Amino acid sequence: MSEKKFRKRNYWFNIRKELAPGCGTILTVCSFSIPLLVWVTVSYVPFIWHPDIKLEISADREGVTTVFTAGDRVSKEFFPTFLKGVREENNLVLSARKENNPLSVTRRENIKRLRHLAPLGIANGWLESDEQQNDKKLFELWKGLAEGTLISTEIILNKENLEIIKDNWNVLTKASPDFNLKLYPTEALLKLLPQGVPSNPVYLPAPHEVLSAGWSDFNTVPENGMPTMWERYRHSLTIIFWGFAYSCMLGIPLAILCGSFDFFSKLHEPFIDFFRYMPAPTFSVLFVAFLGTSDAPKIMLVFIGTFFQLVLVIANTTRLLENSLIEAAQTLGANRRQLLTRIILPGILPNLYNDLRILLGWAWTWLVIAELIGEKTGLTGFIDTQGTRYNFDRVFPVIILIGLTGFFTDRLLHWLRHLFFPWTEEARQAPKGLLTRFLLSLNDRNTCFWHTK
Amino acid sequence: MMSNSLELPSYLEQSSAVSARFEKLQNRPVKLKVEDLTKKFDTPKGDILALNNINFQIHRREFVSVIGPSGCGKTTLIRILAGLDFPTSGNVFLEGRRMEGPGAERGMVFQDYTLFPWLSVKKNVMFGLEIKGLGKLNAEAEAMEWLEIVGLAKFADAYPEQLSGGMKQRVAIARSLANRPEILFLDEPFGALDAQTRSSMQAYLLKIWQNVDVTVFFVTHDLDEAIYLSDRIIVLRANPGEIDELIEVPVPRPRSSGQFLTPEFLATKKRLEELIRPPELEQNEVIPMIRLTEVGDEVE
Ligand SMILES: Nc1ncnc2c1ncn2[C@@H]1O[C@H](COP(=O)(O)OP(=O)(O)O)[C@@H](O)[C@H]1O
Ligand SMILES: [Mg+2]
Repeated sequence: MSEKKFRKRNYWFNIRKELAPGCGTILTVCSFSIPLLVWVTVSYVPFIWHPDIKLEISADREGVTTVFTAGDRVSKEFFPTFLKGVREENNLVLSARKENNPLSVTRRENIKRLRHLAPLGIANGWLESDEQQNDKKLFELWKGLAEGTLISTEIILNKENLEIIKDNWNVLTKASPDFNLKLYPTEALLKLLPQGVPSNPVYLPAPHEVLSAGWSDFNTVPENGMPTMWERYRHSLTIIFWGFAYSCMLGIPLAILCGSFDFFSKLHEPFIDFFRYMPAPTFSVLFVAFLGTSDAPKIMLVFIGTFFQLVLVIANTTRLLENSLIEAAQTLGANRRQLLTRIILPGILPNLYNDLRILLGWAWTWLVIAELIGEKTGLTGFIDTQGTRYNFDRVFPVIILIGLTGFFTDRLLHWLRHLFFPWTEEARQAPKGLLTRFLLSLNDRNTCFWHTK
Repeated sequence: MMSNSLELPSYLEQSSAVSARFEKLQNRPVKLKVEDLTKKFDTPKGDILALNNINFQIHRREFVSVIGPSGCGKTTLIRILAGLDFPTSGNVFLEGRRMEGPGAERGMVFQDYTLFPWLSVKKNVMFGLEIKGLGKLNAEAEAMEWLEIVGLAKFADAYPEQLSGGMKQRVAIARSLANRPEILFLDEPFGALDAQTRSSMQAYLLKIWQNVDVTVFFVTHDLDEAIYLSDRIIVLRANPGEIDELIEVPVPRPRSSGQFLTPEFLATKKRLEELIRPPELEQNEVIPMIRLTEVGDEVE
């Protein structure tokens, strides 16, 4: 009994002690769910952050050049000023009317004021999104809302606005009971007061917005002849594949030579060491100049970005191979070629595999830069376009897709190790069952494995 | 240790059987000849003369051990003999041929096993055979034979990681011997094993050596091990590493662990102890001691 208590006391926090598998899994689940939870909370619980007001109904003000339309965000501090401005304009109209000297405006101006109801119509599904200027339908809308036959459920109109709607409808019907643009009044109509909901800044879209934007982006074919998201995705994958493949094809042999022969190490590594500090993106202009604007400069950039690191890392991995293995093979009669192919190569393979896994992660970083040089293409091209338009709800799905792709390739490769390298300790202790093994591999942060001795 | 009152014969006294055996050994062809070997290491702190003026020869099927305090150059010596290091001066001859660089005719067993982790036990033993150009099938058959000899046939398909230290070392020995080396070098091969495994490994090695035509050069720092296994023991002295004495072990063969307490054995051990007594004890250094116990009893 007392023994049990003792074990419990230091259950979670032990220096360099592994947690029980159950606890580990819980924490892994947490490591994903906590950030998600934070995002969800910040997005849906209004009083946590929500520094802005997202306008549902907007209005133009006289003599102010900045125009806000429904969907725009204004800061919470500014919103009352905005509201007050519109209200004062309405008061002018009302007081002029009271003095029997109503203000008159152009018919155009009145039509514009009536159109401010359009976003509400769209939100309730009474209008199609391309019918914002369909004045006939808008006329019906004003009528319905004023007479109470239509009730807006998506945007709850406040009392003041309901009054304004009735008031305007009175003025409208006085001029002409049926829809006729030509008979629209010139007596100034009231402006709808701006209405909005608390919201987060545009760069933090809520999960459901991201999901729906992602869903629609990945399921629609753009009309302007631009590639679909899946084509963009494939394009990105192609570039990273070739860039990394060339890097491996040239880099691995060179690295093994450097790691095995001091000759090659001294001959190549100092320069490579120097070269890798030169920022690869700055060469992109050069690549575009002699490779054109096709995929070639992009592949080249991924290649340059990974090649030098790869050579240095793998050369070092090669050097870390225990010398005694090489000496043992020598005393068994192996010559130089046999040492390379039968000892060094298989000996470093598991660690080389791991190095490549990590380098592949870097390749994704280079891909993002590569896709922005020359003609903007692939997923990053999309991110760039939508980002400059502040469509962050469309940007995030792509970022997440890149993240997930990287993460799952890495985990998959990690998990495949036990198939490729059955001799390692890790492979023998690998638990049975595909799913269990995969789930456990999410937890496994080991990159270096197998220790002789 | 041994009290001086115990009457021991001189380690130089040999029974007639033993001296007859040494005579026969002397008449065998010389397998390995070491001539004026020196090895200097250039280090930032100055030169280290690791080996100085080493001369000896080993006859065919002889079992020779090297013993000496830690850091006296045993590893340096065996690595030079195996061709893994170059001497600063001097020569190594194998059956009259001057040796340079490592080769299959000189097998080596290291203290840390050095099995190839990516190869199964059987493939490890086949490694040298395949390099020699033996076909896969022949190599496999021969490897299995050797695994049989070291008693590990049923682990043929296991990976080295799955074996215990003693088993690994047996595979390493099998791997070297499968290559039919003319001489086998072992550098403290049992140093990392526990006492029981170690003594059974010693018995194993003796048995194998009796049944295989191989000359053995064995480095150890364990006196019992050296006496139990060897025909002759080279005692190295440190700084510079020089041969102190070359002892002919007077313990008759065949050996068994029962001989550990025979007078010849003890006499040899006593001599070895005299030769490589740790220097600290020689100086009668007094270690300052403060009593920190407060038990208060007077029991020492
Ligand atoms: N590569 C080296 N460089 C410099 N000094 C060395 C090197 N190898 C061994 N030595 C020195 O040579 C001496 C003998 O070493 P070693 O042969 O390993 O001793 P032993 O195996 O008997 O313990 C030691 O003093 C050691 O410091
Ligand atoms: Mg040593």
